Amino acid sequence: MDYIKNIVTGIWHLMQGMYITMLNMIRPKVTEQYPENRGKVFPHERMRGLLVMPHNADNQHKCTACGICALNCPNGTIQVISKKETDEETGKEKKVLDRYMYDLGSCTFCSLCTISCPQNAIEWSTNFEHATFTRPKLDEQLNREGSTLMKKVK
Amino acid sequence: MKVIDELLSKLPFATTGLKDKTYTVSVPKENLYEAASFLKKNDKLSFDFLMDVVGMDYGDNLGVIYYLSATQYPSYIIALKTATDDREDPQIDSISDLWESAGLYEREVHDFFGIRFVNNQDMRRLFLRQDWNGYPLRKDYDTNPELNPIPLCNEDLNDMENMPVIEMVVGEKQDNVHKLFDAEEYIVNFGPQHPATHGVLHLRVSLEGEMIKKVDPNFGYIHRGIEKMSEAYTYPQILHLTDRLDYLSGTINRHGTCLAVEKGLELDVPERAHYIRTIIDELTRVASHLLGWGCMAMDMGSITAFVYGMRDREKIMDIFEETCGGRLMANYSVIGGVMNDIHPNFQKRVKEFIPYMRKMLKEHHLLFTGNPIARDRMEGVGYLSKEQAISLGATGPTGRASGWSNDVRKIEPYAAYRHADFKEVLRSDGLTFDRYIIRLDEIEESLKIIEQLIDNIPGGAYAAKTKAIIKLPEGEFHQRVEGARGEFDVYINSKGDKSPYRIKFRSPCMTLVNTLKSIAVGTKVADLIMLGGSLDYVVPCIDR
Amino acid sequence: MFHFEVVTQWIDRFLRTYLQGGWALFIEFVLIGVVVLTAYAVLALILIYVERKVCAFFQCRIGPNRVGPFGVFQSVADMIKILLKELIKIDRVDPRLFRLAAYLVIIASICTFGAIPFDKGLHAVDFNIGVFYLLAVSSLGVVGILLAGWASNNKYTMIGAMRSGAQLISYELSCGLALMTIVMLSGSMQLSVIVEQQSYAWNIFRGGIPAIIAFVIYLIAGHAETNRGPFDLPEAESELTAGYHTEYSGIQFGFFYLAEYLNMFIIAAIATTLFLGGWMPLHIPGWDGFNEVMDYIPPVLWFFAKSFICVFLALWVRWTMPRLRIDQLLNLEWKILMPISLLNIILMAIWVIWII
Repeated sequence: MDYIKNIVTGIWHLMQGMYITMLNMIRPKVTEQYPENRGKVFPHERMRGLLVMPHNADNQHKCTACGICALNCPNGTIQVISKKETDEETGKEKKVLDRYMYDLGSCTFCSLCTISCPQNAIEWSTNFEHATFTRPKLDEQLNREGSTLMKKVK
Repeated sequence: MKVIDELLSKLPFATTGLKDKTYTVSVPKENLYEAASFLKKNDKLSFDFLMDVVGMDYGDNLGVIYYLSATQYPSYIIALKTATDDREDPQIDSISDLWESAGLYEREVHDFFGIRFVNNQDMRRLFLRQDWNGYPLRKDYDTNPELNPIPLCNEDLNDMENMPVIEMVVGEKQDNVHKLFDAEEYIVNFGPQHPATHGVLHLRVSLEGEMIKKVDPNFGYIHRGIEKMSEAYTYPQILHLTDRLDYLSGTINRHGTCLAVEKGLELDVPERAHYIRTIIDELTRVASHLLGWGCMAMDMGSITAFVYGMRDREKIMDIFEETCGGRLMANYSVIGGVMNDIHPNFQKRVKEFIPYMRKMLKEHHLLFTGNPIARDRMEGVGYLSKEQAISLGATGPTGRASGWSNDVRKIEPYAAYRHADFKEVLRSDGLTFDRYIIRLDEIEESLKIIEQLIDNIPGGAYAAKTKAIIKLPEGEFHQRVEGARGEFDVYINSKGDKSPYRIKFRSPCMTLVNTLKSIAVGTKVADLIMLGGSLDYVVPCIDR
Repeated sequence: MFHFEVVTQWIDRFLRTYLQGGWALFIEFVLIGVVVLTAYAVLALILIYVERKVCAFFQCRIGPNRVGPFGVFQSVADMIKILLKELIKIDRVDPRLFRLAAYLVIIASICTFGAIPFDKGLHAVDFNIGVFYLLAVSSLGVVGILLAGWASNNKYTMIGAMRSGAQLISYELSCGLALMTIVMLSGSMQLSVIVEQQSYAWNIFRGGIPAIIAFVIYLIAGHAETNRGPFDLPEAESELTAGYHTEYSGIQFGFFYLAEYLNMFIIAAIATTLFLGGWMPLHIPGWDGFNEVMDYIPPVLWFFAKSFICVFLALWVRWTMPRLRIDQLLNLEWKILMPISLLNIILMAIWVIWII
C-alpha cells in the first residue's frame, strides 16, 4: 500500500513543480534587453560607474590639485600632476592642476576619493560601458584640455 | 564569569586578563597543550569551539593566539596565547587532536609564519605552493620577486600528497613524511576548474566506483593576500577589500570590520546607521541564501531553480544599486556609519520586496522542496552530528542545522539586532535536507527582521564624524558578526598606527570545506557535489 | 486526404519509365538517403532552437533573439560554427575508438530515424518487424557512448560512460515491455499496419488503461534513454563536467549533440506512432462532421504536431526536475517501472482477450 501511496504522492509533487515552471513560462520575462534598453531603467543615479570631473560651461573644474584623493586611493589609481602658475590678480605663485590621470584598469570603485575630496571636484558617473581593446585606453585624463579652476562663488 | 575564573585559577603557569567578556590567557609554549586540553576536557565548562587560530609575529618572537569559546556560554571568549623565541625553526605543540578544525588552522599558521606544529598529522602548506620561499606574514619577509618567480611548471602532484610531519615517537621528535593516498587508489580531481566547486577549489577525491573514500581539499588558487595587503593600508582602505572576501556576504564582512575598528576607537555610531546597516546585512543574507539555494539546486541538476533564485536576488541587487551605488560590491559601511544616506526610494522598494519574496518562497518550496527526487537525494545523506559540527567549527546555517545554537546575532547582539524580534532557526537532524531547508527558513526570519526595522529607522546623522586620519589605539580588538555562511571574526592588532600591525579574518567557509572531509566519505560522487552545495561555501572567503 | 504516397509513387514510376529496374532502385536509394539525412539535420536544428527557446521561457528569460527574427537562425549559425571548429587532438586517447564512437552514436540515431513513418508512403523502410528493428537499432547508441567514455582516457568520461551503460541497458527493458503491450494490442510489429489500425481510435484510447500506463512508462523510460532531463547522469554537467563527451570538440561533439536532440525526437515520434495514432487524424466515432474537418489537416502535420507535444513534455520535465542519483535511477527502473510494466502486459492480455 505504501508503495502505491509513495508513487502517487511523488507524482503529485512532481506535478506541483511542473505547475510552477508552467506558471513562470506565461509570466512576463525578466531579461534586461541590454543594448536596446540603454538608459531606460538602469543604472541608478548613485551607481559607481566611472570617475569624472564635472566641468561647467566655461570649461572650469573645482580641483585644486591638493592630492588628497590620490593619497586615499588604495590602488594608486589616481595621479594628480600639478604645475605652478602665477595668479593674475594677486601675482603670487600658485599650484594648479595640470593633468588629473585616472587609471580605470586598477580602480576598485571604493569611493574613497570622492568622499575625501574637500572641494567635491570629482564624482561618479553612471557610465558603465568601459570595455576597450587595449589597456592603455583605460588610462584617462579627467580634466579637459585648457580647463581652469572654478572661481569661488561669493 | 565565576566558572571561568575558577577554571583559569587551576592553570598556575598562565597569566590572565579580562576585557569585556574576553579572557586573555598567556601560557608558555611547553604548557600549551596542557592548558588547551584542560580547557577542552574539564567537566565544569568545556571550551569546545575553537573559533580561530591567529598566527602572530611579535617582532622578536612568533606567537599563536587560539580563540576559544564554550557553547554553554557562547558570549565569553578565551584568547589563549603562546609564543616561541626560535625564529629559525619554531615549533609548537599541536592541538589538532582536541579540535578537528585545529589541524587546518595550524596549517594556515604554518604556511604564513613557518611555525611547525608537533604531532599535527598534516603539515603541508595550506595556500601557497610547497616550493614557496619564505613565510609571507612574518615581518622580516623578503618580498623580492626574484625569490619567488612566477612558476612555469605545474605543481608537483607529490607535493599535494606528501605530508611532512613532526611526530613524537617514543618521546623523541622525528621528521617524517606521510602519504595521503595509496598508489592503487582511483583519484579524481574535482577542480581547480570545475562547474560545481563554487570557485577555484581543488578537491582531490579517492573513489571506489562511485563511492567516495577520501576527500582532500586544496586551497590557494585565488589567494590574494588580503591580510598582508591590509598591513600596508589605512583602516578606511582596508574596508574595500572586505567586500571581496566572501563576495556574497560582502556588506556583512565590511560591517564586521567597521565594528572592530569602531570598538578600538570607542566611537559612538548613530542609531540610524545601525538600523541601516542591519537592514542591508539582512538583505545581503536573503540574497546570499537565495543564491545558495539556487546553486544547490543547480548542483543537483535543476537549472531552472537557479535562474529563479537569481531572478529574486536581482531585486535585492537593484535595491543595493540604488542606495549603495554598487551591486555585488556594495561598499556601504564606513567607519562611523554608512557612506551615504539611504535613497528616498529605499523603504518603499524594500517594502515591495518583502511580500514578493514571501510569495516566491512558497513557489520555491513547491518547485524544489517538495520534489520527491530532491527530497530523496537530500534525506539521509551527509549526517553531521552536533558534537562534530562544534569540533569542526562549522558555524552558521550548517551548525544550526545540526542543532548547535551559534547565531552571533543572538549571542552577542550587535548593531540593531537587539531591537528586532526574531528567532534563531534550529534543526536537529544535521542532514543535507536540514542544511537546505534552514536557509529558506532563515530567509523568512531575515524578512521578519527587515519588516520590523524598515519603518523604524530613527532620524539623525547617518554617520559619526571621524578624524581625517584614523589611528587605532594600541591593543587587540576582536569582533564577531554573523555572516551568511557562518561566523565572521575580525581580529585587529594595533600598534597605534594608521594601519594595523596584524589583521586576521576568520573565514567561515574554510571550516565548511573541511567538513566535507568527514561527511562526504561513503557517499557518491553526485552526493559530494550536493553536499558542497548544502554547505554553501564561497572560495574567495577561504583564499583571503 | 493528401498522402505523400502520391509523390513517392510518381517518382518511382517516373524513374522506372526511363531506367532499368536496378538503376532506378539505386537512384531511389540515394534519394532516400539524401532526404533522410537532410531531414535529420534540419529537424535537429529546429529542435535545438525549440529547446533553447522553451527552456528560456520556463526560466523567465527570452532565449536566443539576436540572429534573425526571434533568433530563429541561431541554431543555423551554431551549426556553421561547429562545422568550422578545430578538432582538437587529445593526448593519449585511443584515436580509432575515439572517432568511431561519435559515428556509432549518430549512425544508430539515423538508422532509427529512417524507420519512422511520417506519412503513408513517407517511410524509408517498412519492415514487418518494425518495432523490433527500432528497439534493436536504437540500443546500438550505448556502444558508442561506452566507447567514447573509454577511449577518451579521462576519469570523468569513464564514470559517465559506466553510468550510461547501466542506465541505458536497464531502461531498455521497460521501454521494450511498454512497446510489447502495444504489439499485443495490434497484433503486428509492422509500423504501417499499427498506424492503419488506429484510423478510428488511437491506441491510447483503444487500449484503455493498460495502454495509458504503457504510454507513461514509455515516455519515462524513453526519456531516460535519451540521457536528458532528470536522467542526464551520464553527462551530469555539475558533477562530471560533460560526462562521456567531455573530450570531444568540433563536429565530433556535434554528432553527440545532434544525436541527443534527434533521439529526443525519435522517442517522441515512436510514442506518436504507437500510442497516438501516428499520422492519423483525431477521429471521434459518431462525429462525422468533426472527423471530416480533421481530415483536411495533412497527415504530416498531424504527425509532427503530436511528436512536438511529446517533445514539449520532455522539455517541461527536463527543465523542472533535479537529476537523479545513480541508485535512485536504478531503483526507479527495477523497483517501479519494471514490475508495473510486467503487470501491465498481463493487464493488456486480459484487455485484448476479454474486452475488445
